[in-house]
Amino acid sequence: MARLELSNVSKSYGAFDAITDVSLAIEDGEFAVFVGPSGCGKSTLLRLIAGLDPISDGAIRIGPDDVTRRPAGTRSVAMVFQSYALYPHMSVYDNIAFPLQMERRSKGDIRQQVEKAAGTVQLSTRLKDKPSKLSGGQRQRVAIARAIVRKPKIFLMDEPLSNLDAALRIEMRTELTQLHKELGATMVYVTHDQLEAMTMADRIVVLNGGRVEQVGKPMDLYHKPVNRFVAGFIGSPPMNMLRSKVKAIESEYYSFEAAGIGTIVIDGLAKRLKVGEEVVLGIRPEFLAPHPAGSEPLVKIGVVPRSVERLGAQTIIHSAIEGQNFTCVFAGDQAVEPGRDLNVYCDAANIHVFDAAGTTVGRN
Amino acid sequence: MALQNSTSRPIKTVSFHQTWSAYAFLAPALVILFLSLLLPAVATLLMSFTDVSFLKPTNFIGFDNYIKLFNDTRFQQAVGNTIHYTVGVTFPTMVLGLLAAVALNQNVPGRIAFRTIFYLPVLTSLIAAAVVWAYVYEPYAGPLNGVLTRVGLPPQPWLQNPSLAMNSLIIMAIWRDFGTAMIIYLAGLQDIPNDLYEAARLDGAKGKDIFLRITVPMLSSVTFYLLIILIVQTFQVFGAIYVMTQGGPLGSTETVVYQMYQTAFGYTEFGYSAAMSTILFLTILVFSIIGTRIMRRKDA
Repeated sequence: MARLELSNVSKSYGAFDAITDVSLAIEDGEFAVFVGPSGCGKSTLLRLIAGLDPISDGAIRIGPDDVTRRPAGTRSVAMVFQSYALYPHMSVYDNIAFPLQMERRSKGDIRQQVEKAAGTVQLSTRLKDKPSKLSGGQRQRVAIARAIVRKPKIFLMDEPLSNLDAALRIEMRTELTQLHKELGATMVYVTHDQLEAMTMADRIVVLNGGRVEQVGKPMDLYHKPVNRFVAGFIGSPPMNMLRSKVKAIESEYYSFEAAGIGTIVIDGLAKRLKVGEEVVLGIRPEFLAPHPAGSEPLVKIGVVPRSVERLGAQTIIHSAIEGQNFTCVFAGDQAVEPGRDLNVYCDAANIHVFDAAGTTVGRN
Repeated sequence: MALQNSTSRPIKTVSFHQTWSAYAFLAPALVILFLSLLLPAVATLLMSFTDVSFLKPTNFIGFDNYIKLFNDTRFQQAVGNTIHYTVGVTFPTMVLGLLAAVALNQNVPGRIAFRTIFYLPVLTSLIAAAVVWAYVYEPYAGPLNGVLTRVGLPPQPWLQNPSLAMNSLIIMAIWRDFGTAMIIYLAGLQDIPNDLYEAARLDGAKGKDIFLRITVPMLSSVTFYLLIILIVQTFQVFGAIYVMTQGGPLGSTETVVYQMYQTAFGYTEFGYSAAMSTILFLTILVFSIIGTRIMRRKDA
């Protein structure tokens, strides 16, 4: 296991900058998740770490070694591909054994290592089968066993669960987290699914347009997003965004005129805003409640539900304010009728403020 | 029940119409197949049990033609020549085709031009190519012997020496056929997912290992297909031999199909030629069945 360090890593394809000046350190034994929308560069960054593509600029270190110019097979990294990339003409045994055979290990040693890795992923009884005989989940386990058997310093996983059905994905998520704990390995995991990122990661790296937007623990990203992009990307359903203007400032109290809602008063902002400045107010759907509760001051927002999803454990209400989607998530089963006016309440302390550039205006 | 009754009748009617429509569309192809393949094949089989000839009345002679065939040393030589030609052409064509395909599947400059150049011989007329190669092999003024003389080697009677003639024909066939093998292998190579190569690179595999452990096995279906196609094709070689050697010298390039032609149209022994044709047909059929079975088993 080892620490992974990226220093000013960039990657360009002709005039297109896929990765721009990424500097990042992933600690020994850490489970880091690269997350972002399609085309944000997360898989490209993983391929650069693996050595499958050369970087245009910067340096990559694994442990004490500078591996920037080393070919893929010599970096001591193992990768699990989205497509599993199992060799279809080989048995499960040979698939797992392949990296060891390439190291010209003895047959006895290979057998011992393969059986151990297959046992770890519960595939000991399927060693003679071809991958075509296995289910999606079992194929994924073979790919993981092939990675484990090499005892790499870094595990790289490129959307490994995206080809599985929903139930299996949840099961494999738990198993991967457990495997990480057992191996104590440094893992870098790529996904576009923020739920996977939140549930599995020690630390999340949010990427957008080839740049790192924020690096942090899942709850830090959830509660303290540095900008509007991260705030909108982390959390499901996404944060509600309301276009607003600074209406008045009295001491440390800011009055915002939110389109379609009215005046919202927020205090304790760390940055001075000017009267008339345009901002966006962000409210997470799950911080809205059908009844006034919690500490003052409360913000009251009137909505007209367009559709209601009653899931038992929670009720999701979809509406719109000034043409913008506005979603509320209430705990428990709530009898809300579509089309009837509804007042929802939010603690002002839970409202995020973003300036015109999209940067979070922090709290004192 | 009412619903079942109301739906079953239209389904039957549609199925009936669909069946007849299908037969109507198939009919032209079936008629052509019957007239051009099935009818001549059956006629050949029947003819092989007779002594049909222009020179005497036709008699039914049972298996006499087949018994004569198995004792005919000239036929045995033709079978040997055919196997020599088939093995000599098939394997080098496949190996060269595979190597060319692997080389031209890389991002090398001029790869499109090379692909075109290598495939051009396939597009040329066989007769025209045979005439050109007959000139290339010409013992006195041919360019091949010109090159040999220039580098200080003795000129060779390429098509006149019984021990060289068949190999000379084989070289020409490889030149002509390896473009086909290359194109088929190229299509196979492009079907191999790039992920597999990347996984192999990460697993520490290098050029030779990747080629032998990933590329070659992943192309096995293509290889079997090519093998069968080339065996069937080379078993039926005729044009190049007709133009370049007429089966000589001393019968060293006389293959089964050329002997069939000679027997039928040279000696007017149509019944005997039909027996040869039937044996050749059965041999090709066996290879085709074996090939198809292997392909099916691999796909399963």
